[in-house]
Amino acid sequence: MSTLISFLQKLGPEILSRSYEHVYLVFLSMTVAVLIALPLGIYLSKSKHLKLVSIIMGLAGIIQTVPSLALIAFIVVIFAIISLPTIGTIPAMVALVLYALLPILRNTYTGIRQVDESVIEVATGMGMKPMQILFSIELPLSLPVIMTGIRISTVWTIGVATLCALIGAGGLGDLIIKGLRSIQIDYLLAGTIPAAILAIIFDWILGLVEKWLTPEGLSGEVES
Amino acid sequence: MIRFDHVNKVYPNGLKAVCDLSLEIEEGETLVLLGTSGSGKTTSMKMVNRLIEPTEGRILIEDIDIMEQNPIELRRKIGYAIQHIGLFPHMTVTENIAVVPKLLKWSGDKINERIDELLSLVGLEPEQFRFRYPAQLSGGQRQRIGVARALAADPPIVLMDEPFGALDPITREQLQNEFIELETEIKKTIIFVTHDVFEAVKMGDRIALLDAGVLQQLATPVELVENPANEFVDQFLGQHRFQLSLLTRTLKTIMPETKQTAFTSEGPVPSQHLRANNSLIEALDLFKKSCKATLPVYQKGLFIGNLQKTELLKAITGILGETGGTT
Repeated sequence: MSTLISFLQKLGPEILSRSYEHVYLVFLSMTVAVLIALPLGIYLSKSKHLKLVSIIMGLAGIIQTVPSLALIAFIVVIFAIISLPTIGTIPAMVALVLYALLPILRNTYTGIRQVDESVIEVATGMGMKPMQILFSIELPLSLPVIMTGIRISTVWTIGVATLCALIGAGGLGDLIIKGLRSIQIDYLLAGTIPAAILAIIFDWILGLVEKWLTPEGLSGEVES
Repeated sequence: MIRFDHVNKVYPNGLKAVCDLSLEIEEGETLVLLGTSGSGKTTSMKMVNRLIEPTEGRILIEDIDIMEQNPIELRRKIGYAIQHIGLFPHMTVTENIAVVPKLLKWSGDKINERIDELLSLVGLEPEQFRFRYPAQLSGGQRQRIGVARALAADPPIVLMDEPFGALDPITREQLQNEFIELETEIKKTIIFVTHDVFEAVKMGDRIALLDAGVLQQLATPVELVENPANEFVDQFLGQHRFQLSLLTRTLKTIMPETKQTAFTSEGPVPSQHLRANNSLIEALDLFKKSCKATLPVYQKGLFIGNLQKTELLKAITGILGETGGTT
């Protein structure tokens, strides 16, 4: 018990400030990723160019297969070539956004595509315009699937964001690297445990958001 | 009035779904489009609200070509009910029914009033059902809501694509009967698509029998059953001819005419009686239920004679001989 107290006394402030950096980085990256992937997913689900759909989906899939460490390295190198900042939040965010795109993109696309065709047809037959169908039928009905994509993406991003300490973006990765360099397990734990807790908390909060946004008739909790 | 004027539909893959279809649907009439799958019946119906657009020919509603109208506005004036789910699962009964009235910008009070009226019309207690979700309804209740939704904005025309198709036989028959009753109240022009010849005979004022996109016969149910226009129609009715005859022939056709004036005023109509426009099947059912050998027959409230069970059975046997029925 006393070791835990002295541990927290020594590292507590640093854990807090690194956690804050971490959350900041993840939150910004996820916001940007959702802002890109959600409209793109909707657009692709409506697109008649199946080639385009498979190209973009394939591209997002390929990004996902690149090891995250390599992806960060590539971005730094590319940024260096086109003389953009190679350290700090910006390159880190670009890497995280690229990494977060696929689950959101794929779930938005499949979520909207899986809405029962007869529902869309009857909505059209009743005189709803395409935008009205999108906002009052398709999006509400695919929301649980889209939210799952966002949750998966967020949990991954929290993990990958620890690597961004390598390029000076701060975050909990800083503590892990410090522990690795000085062979001190308390630093390792001080970086790892909060990262894991953050992932759990984010997943839980997004789960609540999902529940709150999911239309009542779909939640499966309606009493018959 | 709806008029199909030499309408053709050819799909991009070359499939000719509808060939040179010309017909008129009177105001207040229920026209059944009957046929097997691939006969073009659904395609024909969906061309009326432009879910599918004709390749050639014109469709006129009240003498206006539908292709010259805004499809969104056109659709809001035509009720639409389909088989399968059709109801929006994330919306309550109220929200489902209110879709078109909301699109038409009705006031909230008017919408609520209309919803209660419609729920009562389709036999569901508004208090109990207003805020339920489709998942909380039985198949029959869902179809009732589907019908109520199609009628929501009081459209003069209603399109129904096998609205009772997904139901079990007992619920289906119940809903058919209710709908026939409801129809006499609401007086809509209805285009009703089905593959079930019995449903067609039951629901339709007239039946358009289609095969491979070609109209085979357009006739009243009685005419269709009694006088098939060609071999296809004859075959389509096939082994059902006997039952269909029992369904379409009314008592009037087998009643002896002579006694008509003899007993015009007999006081109140007894509770167990037959009506001249009852079908032979209905008469047979009543004989079975009442366990009587003779029942009085009335036409428009006037007594026109007594019918003996033996007479009815004789007539039925006669039809059996005519149609070569095997069932």
